[in-house]
Amino acid sequence: MVRLNTEENHITLENVIKEKEESHRADEESAQIPAGTGTKGATRGKLLALGAWQFFYDAHTGSVPDPFGSPRAVIVSSISLEPFLARGDVQIAKRLSSFVRGLSHLQSLLEYQPIHLVVPHMDSPLATRVREAVRGHAWVKLVELPMRHGLEDFSVIARSLGYKQQDESPVWALNVAGVLAVDRTLTMSKPATVRIISIGGPSVKSPCHLKAIPGYPIKKILSDRLSDGPARIINGGVMKGETMDGWLGLDCECEGLTVVPESADREFLGFMKLGGDRQSYSKCFASSVGAGFAERLTTALRGEQRACIACNHCEEVCPSGLMPQLIHKYLYNDELEEAEWAGTDMCSGCGLCSYVCPSKIELRAEIQAAKNRIEHELHPEEVSE
Amino acid sequence: MKWLLHLLEAFRPLFEADGKLKSLKPLFMATDRFFFSSPAATRGAPHVRDPLDVKRFMSMVIIGLLPCLLCSLYFFGLRVLAMIAVSYAVGGAIEVMFAIIRKEEINEGFLVTGLIFPLILPPTTPLWMVAAGIAFGVVVGKELFGGTGRNLFNPALVGRCFLLLSYPAAMSKSWIMPGSGLWGRLTQYVKIAEVDAISCATPLAMAKEGDPAPLWNLFTGHVSGSVGETSALAVILGGMFLVATRVANWRTVVAVLGSYIVLGGLLHALFPEMFGPVIWHVMAGSLLFGAVFMATDPVTSPATDGAKWAFGILIGVMTLMIRNIGGYAEGVMFAILMGNIFAPILDEVVIRRRLRRLNLER
Repeated sequence: MVRLNTEENHITLENVIKEKEESHRADEESAQIPAGTGTKGATRGKLLALGAWQFFYDAHTGSVPDPFGSPRAVIVSSISLEPFLARGDVQIAKRLSSFVRGLSHLQSLLEYQPIHLVVPHMDSPLATRVREAVRGHAWVKLVELPMRHGLEDFSVIARSLGYKQQDESPVWALNVAGVLAVDRTLTMSKPATVRIISIGGPSVKSPCHLKAIPGYPIKKILSDRLSDGPARIINGGVMKGETMDGWLGLDCECEGLTVVPESADREFLGFMKLGGDRQSYSKCFASSVGAGFAERLTTALRGEQRACIACNHCEEVCPSGLMPQLIHKYLYNDELEEAEWAGTDMCSGCGLCSYVCPSKIELRAEIQAAKNRIEHELHPEEVSE
Repeated sequence: MKWLLHLLEAFRPLFEADGKLKSLKPLFMATDRFFFSSPAATRGAPHVRDPLDVKRFMSMVIIGLLPCLLCSLYFFGLRVLAMIAVSYAVGGAIEVMFAIIRKEEINEGFLVTGLIFPLILPPTTPLWMVAAGIAFGVVVGKELFGGTGRNLFNPALVGRCFLLLSYPAAMSKSWIMPGSGLWGRLTQYVKIAEVDAISCATPLAMAKEGDPAPLWNLFTGHVSGSVGETSALAVILGGMFLVATRVANWRTVVAVLGSYIVLGGLLHALFPEMFGPVIWHVMAGSLLFGAVFMATDPVTSPATDGAKWAFGILIGVMTLMIRNIGGYAEGVMFAILMGNIFAPILDEVVIRRRLRRLNLER
């Protein structure tokens, strides 16, 4: 038995011998499914076997939830605001009937728990169509969420709906692609291994959506699609994605590839320019009084690293309500327990704090690293479990 | 500007790790990065960044100070330029020295401190005192705390406080009549020897003796006072720019002025002999300048919104008390330094409350 597996963006063949040793356990597990959980369990087993379970997330931790556990609620989000990635509402609009069928399949997995369907605008034409379609499905509750990057993270949605992490049972979360995968596996009994990914970014000549399977070589996908010049390939969006080596295969969880030009241009007296051509969160450029426009993004850091000047921009933009500059201060002094108290583990990794920081402090990277350290150094007993 | 870039590239090896001038690297890097933006790229997510950097942030403050600077040239003449030059030279040299010792980058913060400092001094302060003041302010007020971003007190105010306490006599007779007419003192360089002939007490000091200046003069700035703070109009223009660009936080400005106006108005109505008229007092002295340019310094004011309100109110009330009850005619400087002392604890209170709420949400 040979299986594709992911490890830090690499596609590897799983250790076959080890797989054989543990194969008896898989048998035991599959034997337990129908016995313990009835038809619901069988349906979940099917999701698992056909690969749709990879689309399910634990809303608070972002990990894959226990397929045979009982969730408190399910969140289905149609919002994905990373630039250049496929937007959920576009996906719904194209395949509304499959989407609604997927929702009823989801319901069949549950007892009485609610499904929260998150839409951008309650009165938009799409939301109206969705509401029409789910009429009669009393268990689907529509929730409106403003279109602001960061707010669409599952942990932030779960908290805004009043689901705390400390409670026993998890909250499941899926995006539109997940619901469509559920529909595909349960209606047609076909494997959900094909993913619809977006190819976008300033370096892409003709942005598009593609159907692709994990492991497909990225070089092949991107050949002929890129404009000239050095560029960075990102697995995911520009805010949260990881840099990817173009020689690798497509990642299992890939939602899209974003290609951003690398720029080493040095501007003469750049900080003195009026800045009508610069889009900024701050109001320090002439562009803030003019009309909107789209700036060409590059990977430039656009400044030098400095000590924190307490401008508070990071706190203003944080969708989780944290104070990134405070966590930075605690971590700078190596006060890990204070950093935990300040909510490091609640960071959704949206990257907005690093984006706006005028001192170019790598807040997102620092906080993500601290999250890991807190788990391993402050709560080693939970990790070993 | 290719030639300049080539020139810098030609000199770069001298300052690298095995170059002859490697200890001066911070100076070279500051020059290099002043003329040309940094070529650095992001290393991880987010892969794109906002164009705002600290240089731009500090440039905004300098632009906000320009109306005050122009007014000061008109009212007090070319001497102001000499004071600024001395302040920048001495303050800059110390900043560079500490950057070299620490092997860190030179921070743009001194561009603001170096300009604000001469603007809050009496117009004929001897140049050696300007040098001594900025040196004390930068070393004790900033570098000893670890540099920009880690200082507790506003360095410019520390320098001024040092001068006021060390040379009270010299400081108190350095006030002069502002220029008037079409050119004001724009073409003059006021010499120390002339000062006795044209010296003139500040409006706040004169008001204590029952001779307040007309409100209109306070508005335009045609009164005696510190270099850059006499004109309420210029400060308001600069302040509006800083608040609009969100470099200065409006909460601090509103809290300082609002608390002064509300409490001052109330006390003036109750005890008119003891507390002066409020609008006159807001325009007089350095209250506006302090509220806009010094209390809003992001480093030495609290970081959280709630604490900013408390900080501003503390400064407003302290100023009111010192001016009307205390022995000093002006109290903004002491009030802001006092506010700086309280800033960390105010932040701590707000942060604890916020984190307690945050942890309940977990």
